[in-house]
Amino acid sequence: MVAVAARDKTRRRRRNPFEGRRFLATVLIAPAVTFIAVLVGGPLLLAIYLSMTDAVGGTLGGDWVGLDNFRAAWEDPNFRRALRNTLLFTIVSQAIVLLCAGLIAHALTKPIRGRWFLRFLIILPWAAPVPLSTIGWLWIYDSLFSVVNWVAKQLHLVDQFNPPQWLGDPTLALAAVISVHAWRIIPFAVVIFLAGLASIPSEVEDAAKVDGAVGLRKFWYVTLPLQLPIATVALLFGIVFTATDMTVVYILTQGGPFNSTQMLTSWAYFVGIRGGSLGEGAAVSLFLLPLLVIVAVLMLRFARKVEVA
Amino acid sequence: MISFREKLTAYLILGPFAIVLAFPFYWMLWTSFKTEQDLYNVENVPFLFGSGSPTAKNYSFLIHETQYLTWVKNTALVGLAVVLITLVLAVPAAYALARLSGRVGQSLGVGIFLTYLVPPTLLFLPLSYVISHFPIGGRAGLQDSLWSLVLVFPSFTVPFSTWLLMGFFKTIPRELEEAARVDGASRLRTIVQIVFPISVPGILTVVIFSFSLVVNDFVYALAFITTSHEKTISTGVFTELIRGDIFFWQALMAATLIPSIPLALLYNVFLDRFIAGFTGGAFR
Amino acid sequence: MADRERVDVTKLDELTRRDLIKRAGAGVILVYGGLGEKSVAFGAPKYRHKELAGTLRILQWSHFVPAFDRWFDNVYTKAWGRANDTEVIVDHINQADLPGRVAAEAAASRGHDMVATLAPLPQYEDRVINHKEIVQEVTKKRGKMADVAYRSCYNPKTKKYFGFPDNYAPDPVNWRRDYWSEAGFPRGPQTWEAVRRAAPRLRSQNHPIGIGMSNEIDSNMALMAMMMCFGSFIQNREHRVTLNTKKTVEVLSFARDLFRNGMSNEIFAWTAASNNQAFLAGRLALALNAISITRSAELSNRDLADRTMIAPIPAGPNGRLGLEHVMHTYMIWNFAENKRMAAKFLSDMEIKYIGAFENSRFYNFPSFPRSVSNVPTRLARDTNTPRGKYRILDTISKRYTKNVGYPGFANAAIGEIFDTFLIPQMFAEVAQGRRTPEDAARDYHRRLGTIYAKWRRRGKI
Repeated sequence: MVAVAARDKTRRRRRNPFEGRRFLATVLIAPAVTFIAVLVGGPLLLAIYLSMTDAVGGTLGGDWVGLDNFRAAWEDPNFRRALRNTLLFTIVSQAIVLLCAGLIAHALTKPIRGRWFLRFLIILPWAAPVPLSTIGWLWIYDSLFSVVNWVAKQLHLVDQFNPPQWLGDPTLALAAVISVHAWRIIPFAVVIFLAGLASIPSEVEDAAKVDGAVGLRKFWYVTLPLQLPIATVALLFGIVFTATDMTVVYILTQGGPFNSTQMLTSWAYFVGIRGGSLGEGAAVSLFLLPLLVIVAVLMLRFARKVEVA
Repeated sequence: MISFREKLTAYLILGPFAIVLAFPFYWMLWTSFKTEQDLYNVENVPFLFGSGSPTAKNYSFLIHETQYLTWVKNTALVGLAVVLITLVLAVPAAYALARLSGRVGQSLGVGIFLTYLVPPTLLFLPLSYVISHFPIGGRAGLQDSLWSLVLVFPSFTVPFSTWLLMGFFKTIPRELEEAARVDGASRLRTIVQIVFPISVPGILTVVIFSFSLVVNDFVYALAFITTSHEKTISTGVFTELIRGDIFFWQALMAATLIPSIPLALLYNVFLDRFIAGFTGGAFR
Repeated sequence: MADRERVDVTKLDELTRRDLIKRAGAGVILVYGGLGEKSVAFGAPKYRHKELAGTLRILQWSHFVPAFDRWFDNVYTKAWGRANDTEVIVDHINQADLPGRVAAEAAASRGHDMVATLAPLPQYEDRVINHKEIVQEVTKKRGKMADVAYRSCYNPKTKKYFGFPDNYAPDPVNWRRDYWSEAGFPRGPQTWEAVRRAAPRLRSQNHPIGIGMSNEIDSNMALMAMMMCFGSFIQNREHRVTLNTKKTVEVLSFARDLFRNGMSNEIFAWTAASNNQAFLAGRLALALNAISITRSAELSNRDLADRTMIAPIPAGPNGRLGLEHVMHTYMIWNFAENKRMAAKFLSDMEIKYIGAFENSRFYNFPSFPRSVSNVPTRLARDTNTPRGKYRILDTISKRYTKNVGYPGFANAAIGEIFDTFLIPQMFAEVAQGRRTPEDAARDYHRRLGTIYAKWRRRGKI
């Protein structure tokens, strides 16, 4: 009886097209892919085309110049600085993010008093609109009214008349930009880690306990492997948020002092949109795309391998 | 129960981080109640009020003399609409990519992610063409309409959410689904009844992040919308509170705090939803 | 919902967007929340011939004087609209964000009928109408356009007016007479030599000189003006780069010494607002800016306003050559729907510029000097103390205000140099001792040359 019923069900399932893996997958994926292809694919191809023309001032076309724009960009010292900065900002800020967010997320799983409030404070930076919260940082790092400098002056740590300029010294300005990037992405990573921790099935936890895995050992052999796919994705998004973001630099330093904190995105904006050399701006903004693609593909591969293992 | 040492370690980690991460907001709050005279006086102690401070006039200026509340409302509406669209597109796609499709699907998934790498710096120009020639909305398409943002924002929330959700779906043990299928449930039913409930943390994460990505946008809102009552927070605030070379710092701070605090509270409540399960020992 | 929208597309021509939204179903109305209502909140305006001849859409910055926008949006354009049977819609965005939106409109070939920016944007030359007729129309009534405006909107190579500057803001020096008196220079910054000598003493009283060397507009303007006073020019009349000269080396060394002896590191960190704030905080002894400094002081700190003087740019070895601070330029798109009324709006406004001049509190100086009669008397009428301090603006605007790119014309190459902050970069690198003045003059001459070559290839210079 039972066997017959089961066979019946199987047969019914076969007739239903939604039971076919291929078909169902296609139906589920198609809307998202179509949407993205139309909205990003088209414009991206156009941007690639623009980078090989001498288009100016917002006009979506121009004479074909091949790779001239890329060559011209490469020869510009400000571009190389921007390229270096983009890599620097991304790598350093993401290293800080991973370390801090890992610690925070781990600590937040402990049932301690006031945890809800602490979590609220930690989430705040992610809730604030970046353009506006960067304005907040602009005020904190202000050339004259900086609260950081005010405290440092009271403690006689810095020159009263000529204190450090957080946005006016190349090294400090780099640190300032990195700090804002890290600041806004840490909560994001914390939340992803927390969600990842939360979705570890309790059976695994119990099994770990039975096997006597605790503390670091448990973290290394149980928690970490289960977390890796999600952590990789979090890192990948952190990289993308930093490398393709323009807002922080645009609002905080405008690339200053003397164009020492430009990123590719901001430099592309100043050259291509403000300065009007659209083709060259497109080349600048697309310059890092191949590298990002390689990094992304490698990381995605890695995430999948970990999962399979 | 956890040991005292563990508790202490947790506090020692969380305390300093919370202070550093939240300090800018403390400072914004403080600044938002200051008068011009107080703010620009270098003799005054910035941690105290003086010269007519504290004052609520920055808040009343923001609310009564600008269309701030409209911008907040616009941002919220766009955010909600985008979150909905994102879920509708990303949840099925992510599940299919994680579970159903073979090699082709995997490459497709990578492809979806890669679109995310395109910097919006210049992409907004071709997109501006797209929205202005959109077949509905009149002669200028969706230009200067909130709908332009509803259309464009999913272009970066969907890839993001798809990938995030894929990660979550992959952590669900296949055995759970297989058990359901052996019991005779159809694939769709398995997805709805078994997979979705387990994925609530992931879905909530996506809601939070999609919404905040919308709130964080600057370039698109700037390029697409100039009509005052259709603006979102960032562009509206920048128009009214940065006038030539004068920054209305206090009102800018107020404008940042007003949406941030409720949003952080809301996100935190969402987090409760799955962290509660976690501390209970099991999440179902 | 989607289906219904698709049906509507077929009848799009008869439908306004609002109609469309109404038809698109309850869900949409819910999302929309009646946001569209505000645009008609002013009530149906009464037009001379009872019906609208058309709509005119303008995009411009949110003016530094908020009252100007209220007057312009609600009084002036409404009155003009009634007289011309046109509904005028004025949108504003923050000046720094205008170029992004302008580019977006050009890319879409859709948007406002005209846009105004704070500097001419010659890179859009091919996308705008020739504004020649507007210039001719106003010239008929009001005589010649000021040279500074003419050289900011005309391309001698293509013989095209790529914009119509309705006004410009003179860029005076703001200085604290109390500080300068204490330092022993009661006559203030008459010459750059005086600035150099006073600077160490002013700084020892904790009141540095404030000339920015940062990535922002005020630094650009101040440094380019300083260069001209020393006889160093970015380009010559033939629009060839002329940076690598002894004069450039001279002005770079001067600025470096001035920084070392009379300024502080803050100037490298400045935003466009910083010199205003530092001046209003009573720190700076001198700043180069439009009248936004004194106007803000009059609102928040009258005492400081009383002690702040405005003066022409200090004289250098090559005389007194200042720049405009803002060259407010309208561009009518060649894809504009209402080019005719846009042109009429501009010429009407320019011919009677008094209202704009007064309501901007003397920020907007007319590009056609005779569009505002009795400028000196009007300036003298300002009641702020010390009485009559704004009178000097008349002299400054007439004699010491040149265009960016002087002695040549403003062009796309200069625009790109301006927007990539190369001049402040050059000054800052020298001031910080990262380069010698000679090396900087040589290297930046080459870099500027690359930009000029690029735009020359495109046939725009």
